[in-house]
Order: sequence, then C-alpha cells, then structure tokens
Amino acid sequence: MSIELIKEKCSAPINMVEIGGGGVGAAVRIGGQSCLPLLFEEGDCPNPPVVALEIADYQPDDWAESVRQAYGEAIKDPVAWAKACVGRFGAKILCVRLQGMHPDYGGRPADEAAEIVKAILAVTKVPLIVLGCGDDEIDNDSMPKVSQALKGHNCLLGTATQSNYKTLTATALADGHSLIAESPIDINIAKQVNILISDMGFDPKRIIMHPTTTSLGYGMEYVYSIMERGRLAAFIGDRMLAMPFVLFVGQEVWKTKEAKESVKTQGINWEIATAVSLVQAGADLLVMRHPDAAKAVERYIGIIMKGAKT
Amino acid sequence: MRQFAIKFQPQDKKVSVPQGTDLLTAATKAGIILTAPCGGEGLCGKCRLIVKKGTVKSEYSNLISDADRKKGMVLACQAIVESDLEVNVPKESVEAHAHASHEAEDFTKGIVLERESAFIFSPFVRKIFIELERPTTDDNSSDLERIEKHLRAKIGGLHLSTRLANLKHLSEVIRDSDFKITAVLSYKDGFFEMLSVEPGDTTASNYAFAFDIGTTTVVGQLIDMNTKSILGTRIAFNKQASYGSDVITRIIYASQHEDGLGRLNSAILDNINEIVEDLVASCRVSMADVYAVVCAGNMTMMHLLLKIDPSNIRKAPYVPTVNAFPPVSASELSLEINPKGVAAFIPGVSTYLGGDIVAGLLACGIAESEETCLLVDIGTNGEVVLGNKDWMIGAAASAGPAFEGSGLSCGMKAVQGAIQKVAIDEDFNVQTWTIGELSPKGICGSGYIDILCQMLKRGIITKDGKIDRLKLSKRIRKTDTGYEFVVVFKGESGAEKDIAVHEDDIENLKRSKGAIYSAIIALLNKVGKSIDEVKRIYIAGGFGNYLNIENSIYIGLLPDIARSVYEFVGNSSLAGARMALLSHEAYEMTMRIYKNITYLDLSAEPNYMDEYIASLFFPHTDLGRFPSVRL
Repeated sequence: MSIELIKEKCSAPINMVEIGGGGVGAAVRIGGQSCLPLLFEEGDCPNPPVVALEIADYQPDDWAESVRQAYGEAIKDPVAWAKACVGRFGAKILCVRLQGMHPDYGGRPADEAAEIVKAILAVTKVPLIVLGCGDDEIDNDSMPKVSQALKGHNCLLGTATQSNYKTLTATALADGHSLIAESPIDINIAKQVNILISDMGFDPKRIIMHPTTTSLGYGMEYVYSIMERGRLAAFIGDRMLAMPFVLFVGQEVWKTKEAKESVKTQGINWEIATAVSLVQAGADLLVMRHPDAAKAVERYIGIIMKGAKT
Repeated sequence: MRQFAIKFQPQDKKVSVPQGTDLLTAATKAGIILTAPCGGEGLCGKCRLIVKKGTVKSEYSNLISDADRKKGMVLACQAIVESDLEVNVPKESVEAHAHASHEAEDFTKGIVLERESAFIFSPFVRKIFIELERPTTDDNSSDLERIEKHLRAKIGGLHLSTRLANLKHLSEVIRDSDFKITAVLSYKDGFFEMLSVEPGDTTASNYAFAFDIGTTTVVGQLIDMNTKSILGTRIAFNKQASYGSDVITRIIYASQHEDGLGRLNSAILDNINEIVEDLVASCRVSMADVYAVVCAGNMTMMHLLLKIDPSNIRKAPYVPTVNAFPPVSASELSLEINPKGVAAFIPGVSTYLGGDIVAGLLACGIAESEETCLLVDIGTNGEVVLGNKDWMIGAAASAGPAFEGSGLSCGMKAVQGAIQKVAIDEDFNVQTWTIGELSPKGICGSGYIDILCQMLKRGIITKDGKIDRLKLSKRIRKTDTGYEFVVVFKGESGAEKDIAVHEDDIENLKRSKGAIYSAIIALLNKVGKSIDEVKRIYIAGGFGNYLNIENSIYIGLLPDIARSVYEFVGNSSLAGARMALLSHEAYEMTMRIYKNITYLDLSAEPNYMDEYIASLFFPHTDLGRFPSVRL
C-alpha cells in the first residue's frame, strides 16, 4: 500500500518588497514566497534571494586585505567603487554604508554623504540600500537629509531598532523608502519592532527584517533557528513576521579571525559558506563584501532555484 | 573597643556604636531605615548621608558625584565610623513611610466573605469561664483535675496539656478569685493546651491578630475573637527593606553578615510589634487580652521571622528548612502580646510558594472547588495557582514590587491619599481618584494599571512603553533620566509635589505584568489546558478596594477572557490567616492544601523565558491573544 505524503501548505505568503526602480534603472524584488527554502514543491518562490555588494563612503583601510585587493584602486573613491561593483562584478543592487559620518571615521557632514549617494545612484542606476553610521544621535540627525536627497528612488534605509526607530521611520515614510527593522536575535523583539514601526503609519509591507547576522562558527545556529521560527510563524498567518529577511553577511564574516588572516581563499569560502547557510534559513537579501564570494553564492542560488515555481 | 556617638539630623536621634561600624548599621540602630535595595553592598547608591562633623573611612564610589562628595555625601553602607559624628539624612534616603504603620481599610470581598462564614466557629484561642466546686474531704481531686472536669463537660473528648509555669501559681489564682476562673485554651494538633488561667470571668475580652507578612509590605489586623469582627487594620513597609529589597538579597545578608539573621529577625519583629502596639492602643484593648497571632507569609519571611537559617532557600535545589512551622509561644518569639499567647503559621508549599498563597487558596476555596480555578496573587512575587479539589499546580514569577507601589518614582501603598483610579481624556486632561478622597500623595498599584491603560489608549506611550516624544503637552516632559508624564501637578487638588510616571516606572511595571501573565500561561501550558477552561480567576493583592479588571487586561497583565470569570478578592493571604484564626477547621485545611500542590519551577521551564520576552509589550507581542484590546 502506498502512503501519500502530506504537503504542508502555508496560509499566508511572505510580503513581496520592491527596492529601487524610482525612474532610474530596474527595481529588485524580494520575498513573496509561500514555502521554506528548498521545499519548492510545497509552494511558490517567485523571487530568488538577491545578493547585494557592500561599499563604504570612506577608504576602508580597516577592511580585510582580501576584500580590498579584489577592488584595487577603485576602493579609494566610493563612486568609482560602486561603478566597479556594478560594471566589473555585475552587482544588481548596492549597499552603501555611510560610516564616514561617524566622528571616528572623519565625521563627514550629512549633505556631503547625501551627494555621494546621489552620485552613486546616477552612475550605477541600481537600487540602493543605505545604512547610517551606527551612532543613533548622528544617524537621527543625518539620515533625514540623505533620505530626502534620495526621495522617490525607493531605497532601503537602515537600520531601525527598538530603541531608535522613530526618526528613521518618519523619514522613510516621508520620502517613500523602505525600511530595515533590526532586532537582537530575538523573535519577539523582531515582531515588536515591526509593530512599533507599523503603529507610526508605516506600511508593514515595506519593512525588511534584520534578525542579526552572525558568521559561520560564531553562533550561526541561533540566527538560523530564529529565522526559521519567524518564517514558520509567518506562514501560519502572523502578518507581523511576514517580512523578508536581510542579512549583513560581509560585515560579520570579514571581522572573524578566520577571514581576516586569510591570504588566499579561506575568507572568501567563509563568506560563501555563511551566505549559503543563511539562504537555507530563509534569507532574501544578502549583503556581501567579496565580489568572488558574491558570485559563487549567486551561482548556488541559481542552481537550487531551478526547481522553484515562480 | 572605642565607642563613638553619632547624631542623626533632622530626626535628632543619637546612637553609640563601636569603632568600625558602618553608618547603615548605625542608622538602623538609631531606628532610621535607609533605602538600600542592594542590601548594603555599595551597588545601588541609595543610602546617602551627609557627614557634617567628624570623620568616616569611605571607599570611593562613582555613584556619588564630585560635587556631592565635596558636601560630605557618603554611601552609609560603605562609610566606617572613625570618630563622633553628626550626620544629615537626606529625605530621599529614608525609605518612604518606613516608620509608621498606616491605617488601612479591610478590603475583603466577594467569595472570601462567603467562605469566612462557611467554616464552623472554633477560634484558635478560646476563653472558658468556670466556677469550680471547692474541694472537700470527699472530693479531693487536684485543682487541675477539677478544671479538666469542667472543661470536658463543655468540650467533648478534650485532651488538655499545660505548662509548668501555669501550675506554679494555679492554686493561688483559684483561691484568690473565689474559685471563679477563666481558662484560656488554644487548639493544637487535635488537643487543647491551657495557655493560662485568669481570675474571674474575662471571656468578654479575647483578641487576636492576623498577619500577612510580605517582602515589601506587612499587614496586621486585630480581631475580636468573640464577635469575629475586625477592629482595625494596619499596613507598613517591611523594615527588612534596608537590608535589601528582595528575598535573595536579604538571605545573602542574613548568611554573610555578622548577626545578619538576627538583624533581619528583629526588623520584622519590630514591624509586627509596632502594628500590635498601634492597634491595641487605638482600639483600647489590653495587650494581656491578646493571646494569638496567625501569620501567613512567604517562606523566606517565615524563616526570618522564626530566625531559622534561610541560606538553602537560594541555593539549588532550593530547599526550605521546613514547610509547616510549629506554633510557638509569644514569649519565645518576642511578640509583644500576652507572653503566654501563641503564634501559629500557615504552612508553605515550597521555597517560592509560601503560606501566603496557601492562605489565599483557603480564602478562595480552590482546594474544594469542582471547577478549575486560578488564583493570581500580585505581590513582590507574582504567585499563580491553578487547579481544583483534585489537583493544584503553582508557580512563582519574580514580578517585583511594582504593583505594590514600591520601586517607582511616585509609587506608594494602597493607603489614604494614594491615587487608585485615573482617567485621561483626548486632550490629556487627567482626572484622579484617591483612597479616602484626600489630596493625592502618590500612586498605588491599581492607579498605575489605570494610568498605563489610559496612556496607551491616548497614544501617550507606544506599545513598548516609551513616552511618545512627538506628542506635545505640558504633561510630557524630559528629565535627566528620560521622559515622564505628569499625572498631577503640584498644587492641583492639593498635591504637595508633582506626581509623575517616568519611563523607568513603565519599564518596571511592564516587567511585572509580563512576569505574571507569562506565569499564568506557563501553568496552563504545563497541564495542557486553555484559559477558556478556567471557570473562575481570583485576583489577590494589596490593591486597596479597587482593581479595574478591564484595564488590567488592556495592559496585558491578565488574559483576555470573559470578564465575568474574574473576581478581585483583595488581600487573600490576610483573609486566610484570619479564617485560620477563627476556625481550627480552616487551619487544619491549610495543612492539607500545602501537601496537594505541585510546584512548577519556572526557571526550569524551557519556554518560560520566551513567553516572558513576548509579554514585554502592551498588551503582548502576540496581539491575537488580546482580541478585545483595540489600540
């Protein structure tokens, strides 16, 4: 007697979020799936995970040697660097980290930072993820100016946290951008931040969650299981967890000892392995640093997505 | 060893202490209770004093600013006396209301009142008047046998015991009173002990005390054992607070300081004796006519009251020395009632489920109920017991004393002048109601519940409990430590100071309500029941006479189910102690209740922490659990 295996059906898909496409170049779409990664026979997966390359607005001498070498001279100028990412390495979306606004990194005024981002957009014509410098006070002061300069370009701004979400949310709302909601590897706080942001009148369908990223070998299993729990809750109908995930893989991997001390391929492999694992956990958007690693992960995504119904 | 004289101002109290004593100890000795939630470890920075004259040896503390240090400010617990001193006690260093006990109303309600009359009246201590026949050559039985014979005629199957001390002057008492005497009997494990023999007929004056001994507050009640009526109720902050605000800090203090246990013991005895003295005086009752005290309290409080080493309570696997404490004589305990009187204690279930809860279960009748009920006692520990006559399971959540009004910037107990009810309109106009309709002095637990609910409804706070900085109102203002909402301005309705709710207060209340709610859910999950299967929910706690269930649900303190299931029962621990005092049947029932409860250790429950974090939101991260709450 044959037993019919049960296919689990989800009752509500993950939100589909579009980034970019505001009159300049093509938009990138993420999310929209109704099945867990690799379980493509149980639901649809209209948009494969997307890899973004990360650049900074200052010359990142503190970044790992291996990453800096990959970009060569271009890394000295953010616009040239962005151009290389798109032209030479085929990036479809970029993540600009405005670290230069932090006093420890030169304290660039917000207006200047805004000009740089605008120039990058003009030259590359790809969708942008724009991150502040990480200092709440400076970001609350500067990000509104940066956001305004990008008004209408449907960027993804980051990051809103439980203790600091109001300014960024109000800004993104005013200028028509999407938002990254960050939480410290905690499913409840992830949901709470989403609720708080939505309570300000921000469309929950324009939120992307950052559940905190860790690198392979540094407690990745915790992030993995939090993502998995979030997904399962979303599929049974929790709309406040039905947001796509963004993971800052490069940022975490390249600060590990294993990646930093790498002279050949160890760091790249570390970034690949971390990203691939997170794709399996449900990552929709991966922000990576080494172009070779990004390429490899895109190839991997291409292979596994062959069976996906779109 | 050299002795130094220390003078405390503005209390104008003097005390002499040996060299090397710390100022916290010295202040306590002088009867000044300083705020010291950390238990004198130098960590909280609350026990500040200003040394005006003389020298102390004090470790540098970054909790005191340089400017304050120049003024002579020290942390009392870290300052060692090295000479005669003159010390100023800043107002904020003195534990609020620590000295006086406050008059309180008795808030016994609903089911508890019904239950109280359900037990047969057989008081813990009774007085029986007897007229003895004079002995003759034909009837030459002993004085005691003579008394026994008379008592047996009144109480069938009597077994009587007494102490030697009562016999020494018995013949004299009998003869001096012309063979008319009153025997004072106390009930004890199936027999009676004759506590005392009084000359003449004293049966009209028989009084006793019921006590609820909490970590934060102590409540005492004087009962007329003839009429069963409550003559008065007093409430005071537990004086052990100057050795730490929670039981763990106090246990550490008891085991690590020289005579730590002794100090904690005298602190609580002071509390009890003060309340006794106060009530006896104001009700014009003679101390000699008070023969019994029944106490209900948590395990740590009972250990400290009986001066039993509590150190294993905080060490895994958390074992108390004893569950059912034996009755002791008043003189042995240093209780200032009739020295021949007795004190009895309601037994506890486990280290974190004490006699206060067993008393509460007695009061609500859960142990006899056919239907599944829930008791939620909102105190320093939020204890929750689920069950019926066949089974009971209980847990304790470390909720903290926020709902008792402790640890909050304008918090106070539910006594006269406490804001217990609040309404806020759309323009942020605030209306308040105080206990006794007096000028507001502070806010008690039920007031905070109303305020939280109203602030949420009006959008003054977000669901994570942060005050919305974008809202413009004179009531929302920034302080050095964050934002606050002013409930009553100084001068409004006669308030002597601004009464405000600070974001830190909200954070505190949020943790408390989260701990209690998640404990309820953890118990239900453990026995695989849904909240809808619970037919009655009794809410107990020192909330005064008012608790808005609707608002409690709105903030996520209590589950969102039919409101008719809820009943607010007030201080059920005190009510249970009173029942045990008035009926030995009730007292004996507590001996059965405590054995029938399974204790669930929440810290060992894998999902509790997750539940707790999810509940740190208004009303809850899973909004679907509160369908009737519309924010």
